[in-house]
Amino acid sequence: MKNEKRVFVPRKKRENIGTYRPRTEAWKKARGTGNYSQDLALKRKYQDMVYMRILKSPYPHAIIKSMDTTAAEKLPGVVGILRYDDPEVAAMEPFTACWTDATNSASNIQAWGCKDRRVLSDRGRWVGDEVGVAVAAETTEIAEEALRLIEIEWEELPFCLTIDDAMREDAPIIHPDINPESNFLPNTEMWGPDIFMDEGDVDKGFAEADEIVEAKAMYKNPQECALDYWNCMMYWTDDQLISISDSYAVDQSRIFLSDMLGIPLNKIRCISPLEGGQHGRGNTGEQPFFLASALMSKKTGRPVRYFQTRQEHFHDTRTECYLTVKIGAKKDGTITAIDFDMLGNAGAYSDCTIGEIKYVPPEWLESMLAGIPNLRFTGRAVYTNIVPASCMRSIGNIEMNYIFGLGTNMLAEKLGIDEIDILKKNVSGVGCTAPDPSVVGILDEGAKLIGWDNRHAPGEGEWIDGCKKRGIGFSLNNTWHTENQEFRRGPTQVMIKLNHDGSVIIDAPTVEVGGGSSTCAVLAAADGLGVPYENFHWIYQQDTETGLKDVVQSDSSVSLVLAEAARECAVKVKEEFLAKVARKWERKPEELDMKDGRVFVKAQPEISQTIREYYDSVDLWEEENLVPVTVMHSRPIDDKSYGFAYMATFAEVEVDTETGEVDVLRMVVCSDGGTVLFPAGAEGQLTGGQCQGLGEALYEEMIYDEATGIPLNFNFVDYKFPTMADYPDIDPVPMEIFEGHGEYGACGMGEAAPCCTPRAISNAIYNAIGVRINETAASPVKILNALGKEGR
Amino acid sequence: MDRSINGKDPIEKGNENLLRLKVNGQWHSFKVGTDIEPQHTLAHVLREKLGLTGTKVSCDTGECGACTVLVDGKATLSCITIAMSLDGHEVTTIEGLGEDDVLIRAFATQCEPGYGTAMQCGMCTPGFIMAAKGLLNENPDPTEDDIRHALSGNLCRCGTYPAVMRAVLRAAEMMKEEKEGMK
Repeated sequence: MKNEKRVFVPRKKRENIGTYRPRTEAWKKARGTGNYSQDLALKRKYQDMVYMRILKSPYPHAIIKSMDTTAAEKLPGVVGILRYDDPEVAAMEPFTACWTDATNSASNIQAWGCKDRRVLSDRGRWVGDEVGVAVAAETTEIAEEALRLIEIEWEELPFCLTIDDAMREDAPIIHPDINPESNFLPNTEMWGPDIFMDEGDVDKGFAEADEIVEAKAMYKNPQECALDYWNCMMYWTDDQLISISDSYAVDQSRIFLSDMLGIPLNKIRCISPLEGGQHGRGNTGEQPFFLASALMSKKTGRPVRYFQTRQEHFHDTRTECYLTVKIGAKKDGTITAIDFDMLGNAGAYSDCTIGEIKYVPPEWLESMLAGIPNLRFTGRAVYTNIVPASCMRSIGNIEMNYIFGLGTNMLAEKLGIDEIDILKKNVSGVGCTAPDPSVVGILDEGAKLIGWDNRHAPGEGEWIDGCKKRGIGFSLNNTWHTENQEFRRGPTQVMIKLNHDGSVIIDAPTVEVGGGSSTCAVLAAADGLGVPYENFHWIYQQDTETGLKDVVQSDSSVSLVLAEAARECAVKVKEEFLAKVARKWERKPEELDMKDGRVFVKAQPEISQTIREYYDSVDLWEEENLVPVTVMHSRPIDDKSYGFAYMATFAEVEVDTETGEVDVLRMVVCSDGGTVLFPAGAEGQLTGGQCQGLGEALYEEMIYDEATGIPLNFNFVDYKFPTMADYPDIDPVPMEIFEGHGEYGACGMGEAAPCCTPRAISNAIYNAIGVRINETAASPVKILNALGKEGR
Repeated sequence: MDRSINGKDPIEKGNENLLRLKVNGQWHSFKVGTDIEPQHTLAHVLREKLGLTGTKVSCDTGECGACTVLVDGKATLSCITIAMSLDGHEVTTIEGLGEDDVLIRAFATQCEPGYGTAMQCGMCTPGFIMAAKGLLNENPDPTEDDIRHALSGNLCRCGTYPAVMRAVLRAAEMMKEEKEGMK
């Protein structure tokens, strides 16, 4: 079968890292033999398991005045009921449902969000809010039936769904405990001031500018829609609390449970196998339902299974927000001042909104615009009575990219300068100067591949089929993280065991969510040890009782920190093994090396043995050979910055001016990974990121009934994301320009993959039809309206 | 479909409370009301009663295709199929394809330049493979459009579509080569 796609060639040739290979867990996934949490928590395995369902608030804002559970208690098959006013529930402290990578959310050490969550609150704050009462029964259907039998007296309160309504003088206050004055998330020490960054003097900078552009946009609230859904099964033995779930941070899960339930860490066992998709806001084990399940299991003495239905899985969306930017620049394109404003809709609970609105945009500014002398960023968010907002892949970046790329596109037009040159001139990170080699390399390659120089002026392209126009657009962003940006994680732990038959077991602990970090670790270990990649068995089920601390799947850092640690660990194993062989062969260890599972004399490679042959040549009790060579290695994270890496998406679209439909014809995505550890994995992530970004650009947002606060599209038919029928021609282009720390000095590539896509498509639409759609999703209705075809 | 065993049709009239299902070549019998309930879906029976967890449940409402199996050779959404409606029918799950199946091989080994791997998180993968099997059973030489159409009901949030396309095309090619090799 012909393949006309570009082949990635690494800067440095290595045996495994940088080569095209299948995933380490590919056969498990293709055969269906890999377990996900739903495959472990089965009734056939835990025959006394019960199913728990939690009441969902039918109102967007209401208080439970009274609750009568008598009829529900009598329903055959009901095993336990937990109410908001039960002593063990009422005693639970408020908490924040927002992971903090490497710290816990319950005691708020470095926690992000506001403590606005309760296990079973007496107050519903959005239609679908799980509050009031939980029922455990022999079947899900009986639990649902029991919930319907519970009589509740609700006091309905006024509600607000939009940012604008939440800001009104007379708006209902949704979290008076957090902020009694208004719905704004308060300026606590954690949340910080409204003006979060203020460098230089922006007003002076604008006064010095030759041209100023101002732009407004809105980024809506897509949801991850991972195929795996949030779930857990919890049960108590006489010794431990066991949790089986899809949490992608098992060690943090146990910290949270320990803090909230007051149990020692070694009495909590959190287990996660493969996970079906973590697209920026997966399950980190700190949801209220975990606590409810644990309490219910204690009460009933039975394992309790809780899982979200697909409708319920629509929560913790990206934080929708208003965005504005004002850019001042000289005639030659040098930016003199830039002022950003972000105003988010936190929904009913703050969760990870603080990341998307507050903490990550400054990181974006430090990576993209550190060289701009006058810079201001204001970030605020309000509570409303819609689904809680949180974050999603490309947290904080995709929004900043969306508004910044609009501003630079407008600036380029106003100044008559190529937008590419404006970015090369102005984009750089802390400690670096523009033009940054990664920025230049990424933009030049992408521009060449899409044919940027052949573009026409906005709206000036030829008509196709009498009603369609084509256009191209792009956007640039930093990719992340570099190793130093992950300093807070602490050291990465890996353990490798070399068996005497040459097979290897590697504990490179992380929940594999699809990003390919496990493959990166195995590739690096294979290189470090000199043993074929196929000889490795990776422990894919994470277990806080038996395994090392898992590396949390966030910020695209796992592959790079795990690969470095795995390689170093493998080198130590090799050294220990070579020392044994050296003693047997009566040579110095430095005379020997290993490749493809054969140990050989460097100066005379024909003198060699396989690992098995070595062990067969000695009595196993010699050299302590009854014990496999086993090394646990802990590798600290380097906190020094080596600069930044960048990525860009270039898109070509065709807009039908009669129907408003946008057909994305082609996308080129260039991404600097430093060292591209696993090319097929990287290309998969870059490709997949375009599919996700495409969805956010054109189709995805939450739709609410304004009168009742009821969400209308929480299913896969009405909430549309791209299918097999929708994907365009995508060219993933991994590149190696950045050089970080360590053997590989890699940089994350997966999280940023969709980051530039909505802005690139939006700019392409403008190039095609000469009008701007400054809001995701750029639906046909919005496009027709922009073309002045309202009512058609 | 010939259901005879030793020349006899195993499905006798008057056994409405029995579900007799041939799964991956083996007959199973369930009593409705005891072993299974009337509302149990095929997905539930496969996973909970037979321990065949390769078939995944994601939306449980027939919208994502993750639960796709073959019923009498045709791709079917097992999460919205009532199990007891299949008395006397044949089901093939991912486990029934055999480790050497050409589609499983194609998906597992997919890593060629420019497309990525055919699975990332892997949750959609068994469903895709079964849907592709249903397609190749009917159309062993599909075009890209045929594949897009047949698999448009299988959602992949990780966005592996281009790689899935290549894997299915390659599987079709391998099938042809193996058939020709056998001539």
